[in-house]
Amino acid sequence: MTAQAIENVLQALVAGLLVGAIYGLMCVGLALIFGVMRVINFAQGDFMMLGMYGAFYVFAALTAVLGVSGGLTPYAAILLTGPLLFIFGYAIHALLISRVSGAGAAKLDGDGHYAQLILTLGIALIIQNGALIAFGSQLISVRTSLSASAWTLPIGEEIMLFINQARGVAAIVSVAVMVALTLLIARSMLGKALRASADNPEAATYMGIDVARSHRLAFGMGVGITAVAGGLLATTLPFQPFVGLDYVIVMYAGVVLGGMGSIGGAFLGGMTIGLVQQLSTLILPTQLQNTAIFVVFLAIVFFRPQGFFGRVSERT
Amino acid sequence: MLTLDGVHAGYTAVPVLNGVSIKVEEGQFVAIVGPNGAGKTTIFRTISGTLKPRAGRIAFEGLDLADVPADRRPHLGIAHVPEGRQVFASLSVFENLELGAYTEAGRRDWKRNLDAILGWFPRLAERRSQLAGTLSGGEQQMLAIGRGLASSPRLLMLDEPSMGLAPTVADFIFERLLEIRKETKLTILLVEQRVAEALESADHGYVLEAGRVVLEGPNSALRANDRVRQAYLGM
Repeated sequence: MTAQAIENVLQALVAGLLVGAIYGLMCVGLALIFGVMRVINFAQGDFMMLGMYGAFYVFAALTAVLGVSGGLTPYAAILLTGPLLFIFGYAIHALLISRVSGAGAAKLDGDGHYAQLILTLGIALIIQNGALIAFGSQLISVRTSLSASAWTLPIGEEIMLFINQARGVAAIVSVAVMVALTLLIARSMLGKALRASADNPEAATYMGIDVARSHRLAFGMGVGITAVAGGLLATTLPFQPFVGLDYVIVMYAGVVLGGMGSIGGAFLGGMTIGLVQQLSTLILPTQLQNTAIFVVFLAIVFFRPQGFFGRVSERT
Repeated sequence: MLTLDGVHAGYTAVPVLNGVSIKVEEGQFVAIVGPNGAGKTTIFRTISGTLKPRAGRIAFEGLDLADVPADRRPHLGIAHVPEGRQVFASLSVFENLELGAYTEAGRRDWKRNLDAILGWFPRLAERRSQLAGTLSGGEQQMLAIGRGLASSPRLLMLDEPSMGLAPTVADFIFERLLEIRKETKLTILLVEQRVAEALESADHGYVLEAGRVVLEGPNSALRANDRVRQAYLGM
């Protein structure tokens, strides 16, 4: 292999890791909702899109009010959007989703999954078209001065890797949010109560845990996390109101790859998708990126249907 | 402390409980015995609030529970150790105990309770970081009881703690319960199919058949009762 070929492979690998870190976080949001709380949510891509617009407008507000626009301001805006979308998700669950999930699903067919499918598809359509009315259809992005500069990483004499700074910082923020969430779920009493509610709702009630509230919190957190991932993606990807459609599929694939119910698994599932997507560009035309994702997805589902980190007993 | 007054309940149109009245005094160990399907577990569900009674009144320490949601009742001091143990299988032994201490009183007394629980069930200390789903049936029962005790309950409700356990393990659980009661003076309400052991441990008993209390009295009277001796004690 020539130095040029090795450089191309390494460059694709780095790009895959960076975009994979964001896909990973995106998948983690859905994992809380679909993997842990078992709610089918087809509006997750559109919650992500709202996160993108949220980051765009919070950034604009920060710029207008504080007069700062450089450096890390977009990332502050993206992180502020998380809590906003958490509240939005919490409210959507309290008003709508709770009627077809948890205790509300007791009298519905298929544990309420059919009703969830139809309800969240409806929510998705309303959000998409509402966004079209409110934000228009032109492509915009969260502009950061970092996207114009790159870190260079020389390897040996002949190879030079370029890491776009916007992508690099987005990946770092993504991993940091993931670490914070993992600690919250693993260590805090809130996290333990959420896991107990998902594990055995009846027993959780006997512990004095408000299981319905746990579901609302998990849904809100799932929406907020995916929204932050969307905001990070928006620093390098121009978007419009229908951008969610492509990503909801990436998210489901990531959650299933990682093993249902595993937060860390979902992150690595998303990471895998990012890597496959970027590496496939080495041998396939870019239009076939998503085809490569699904070939790998099918292969993994075929050979290891419980996902990387799922236990066989956890499958439904 | 706890009174059920003419409680009717069921899951479908068919009633399971047909006017059950039960009283548990502070410090008492009360056993409810009866055959499978008599409605023992259903009584517990109405007390802990996961099933709403159709008629009748349930009061805990003078407070009518009708308007208290199920997830608030543990905070009043009602600990329910459910049938089939229902430990949180995907959480560690230690996390299960921590969740037992989710109540205000449980958080306050956590250190002291934890020491006591691990003292009564040393096996739980050995397995503290293991996932609860990987424990044996007896260990899971110990964990379920420990989890109940971690809430600093005023009333401990145990649903068939011997179910599915080897006789020696069930005996161990009963011995420990008596020891726990002696040390803590805890009020206990027990539902059990192992009638002989249950009536031996308790000071007061109720015999439940087809959703009705057919007999009640102090354990000595029940054990001397001809009907109980024939139907349940095999004498």
